[in-house]
Amino acid sequence: MAVNIDASTAPSTGLLRVQEWRPLRGFAALLHKENSAWWGTRRWWANALLWAGMLGGLVALVLWVLPSMAELAGDPSVAAAGGPLAFGLEMGRSLFFELGTLALAIGVIVLWQDAIVDEKQSGVAEWLLSKPVARRAYILAKLAAALLAVLALLIALPALIAYGLLSLRGGALYPPAPFLAGLGIMVVHTLFYLTLTLMLGTLFNSRPPILGISLGVLLGGSLLVSFFKPSIYITPWIMSKTAALVASGQPAPPELLWPPLVASALWCLIFVLAALAAFEKTEF
Amino acid sequence: MIQTSDYVIETHGLSKSFGDVQALRGVDLSVPRHSIFGFLGPNGAGKTTLMKLLLGLSRPTGGSASIFGHDIVADSVAIRERIGYLPQQPRFVEHMTARENLRLAARFFFSGPPAAIEDRCDEMLALVGLADRAERPIKGFSGGEKQRLGIALAQVNYPDLLILDEPASALDPLGRQAVLDVMIRLRKYTTIFYSTHILDDVQRVSDTVAILNHGQVAASGPIGQLLSGQDGVVYTVTVKGAVDGLGERLAALPWVTQATAAPGLRNGVSAWHVAVRDETEAEAALLRHVLEDPNTTVVEFSRKRYELEEVFVDLVKGDDHGR
Repeated sequence: MAVNIDASTAPSTGLLRVQEWRPLRGFAALLHKENSAWWGTRRWWANALLWAGMLGGLVALVLWVLPSMAELAGDPSVAAAGGPLAFGLEMGRSLFFELGTLALAIGVIVLWQDAIVDEKQSGVAEWLLSKPVARRAYILAKLAAALLAVLALLIALPALIAYGLLSLRGGALYPPAPFLAGLGIMVVHTLFYLTLTLMLGTLFNSRPPILGISLGVLLGGSLLVSFFKPSIYITPWIMSKTAALVASGQPAPPELLWPPLVASALWCLIFVLAALAAFEKTEF
Repeated sequence: MIQTSDYVIETHGLSKSFGDVQALRGVDLSVPRHSIFGFLGPNGAGKTTLMKLLLGLSRPTGGSASIFGHDIVADSVAIRERIGYLPQQPRFVEHMTARENLRLAARFFFSGPPAAIEDRCDEMLALVGLADRAERPIKGFSGGEKQRLGIALAQVNYPDLLILDEPASALDPLGRQAVLDVMIRLRKYTTIFYSTHILDDVQRVSDTVAILNHGQVAASGPIGQLLSGQDGVVYTVTVKGAVDGLGERLAALPWVTQATAAPGLRNGVSAWHVAVRDETEAEAALLRHVLEDPNTTVVEFSRKRYELEEVFVDLVKGDDHGR
């Protein structure tokens, strides 16, 4: 092996020491690492293509193809909606906000189930934490980078495409306020599952329980609502429907809008705090 | 005399349990500044556990420890500012190249300027002989290359203390030699605390040693002291000819604590291990006493030097027998 003996002795000059707030020591470097995992690899464009293509494609299909097919099949809902155009717009909006909200939840669960477990299993987490890094910085950097990527690639880009398609099909700009309000609900719903998966990643050391519990909460919740209605007030289980309703411009019943929204936001906070506490106690 | 501040690591009764299993039992260690401290022990002795406690990756269940005078639990982040660590199986961010991993490691310590960070990365790559592989993905690296990159990553902040967990155990002889060379070169600048079970390596590069067995320190001290044996100063006298009464005569000397015949020699040649309490007296008079008998010829006379393996096996086996 060729080793430069003098290399170890040659001092590098001009390096500036990191000045960071001690409780979040290491956050900037970790955020850079996490962002590079999203934006420095093919991951960003793969996700951008997947989500924009999938949601945009389905919305386009529903806006342009489904109404004609429904009309040809003599579906009475076409007439009830006020014609093929109105039917298409209603279905397109519903698909994006209702199905899209659920699809996004599944997406973040699948994308994020191994974010922490993988690094715990491979020893990367141990190596990172042997650097001057506060454990909360590790968790918060992961969350911040995922938030940015999910908001940009999984929500904003498909939303922009869906908005463009709805406006194009409607022949005028779709009213932005209800669209944004529906999108806001979609964001909170997605954050609920993002933070839940984060917390589970700190509690477990393998993927199956993370995937099982988070998907169980998402899919089982929809079933539970039928048997135990009050659960909708303290969970996000009704939010995909309220997102579609709000986006249509119709007033949503306040008791179906605000309690689930506030409760889900609180759950997000609880999950993050629980993740921080659990990770602080994790032994490597 | 060594002052407290001359120790980089100090542990007092440091213990760690995992449920009913006691991985460490009251470990007391003092690691002198600028030493290459070899931390020996059989598999499962608790070496990695101790290192993880020192790094704040795990919490002690008893006792205390300090590094650079900082408590390992309360001031862990401050301690890690001045430490470099190489895990037993170095792991990297796989989607990054060697240089990108180094850049990432450097970012934990330095905010810039970018050119100076690049210089430091180049310097570290050259230190471990990986300059020509800097832009290659980690996935294609051999075990030895990964180990050397691990050392570069650990050294990127010019740490005051390098903690290396089995740095050479998975390498071929050339790779091992390369890693030991790097350690020797770094000694001038840093204290190296490393674990291993390769006794040859310890004897070659370490100046201080601790032997851990079943979570306890079985022996600790400068390597010269350890190699001179646990029974004090012992001389070996190899003689030819009549040896009747030699053992008794030697044992009767006031500064001799024990004289025992060593097994295994033939053809009229026998060896004796003579343990003494007064080294000066022994040097001046022991040989003379043996030669008093005209029928005895001294073939060899030397101070007994133990091999580390001998010390290690004695300690580990002795400890096991006591269980």
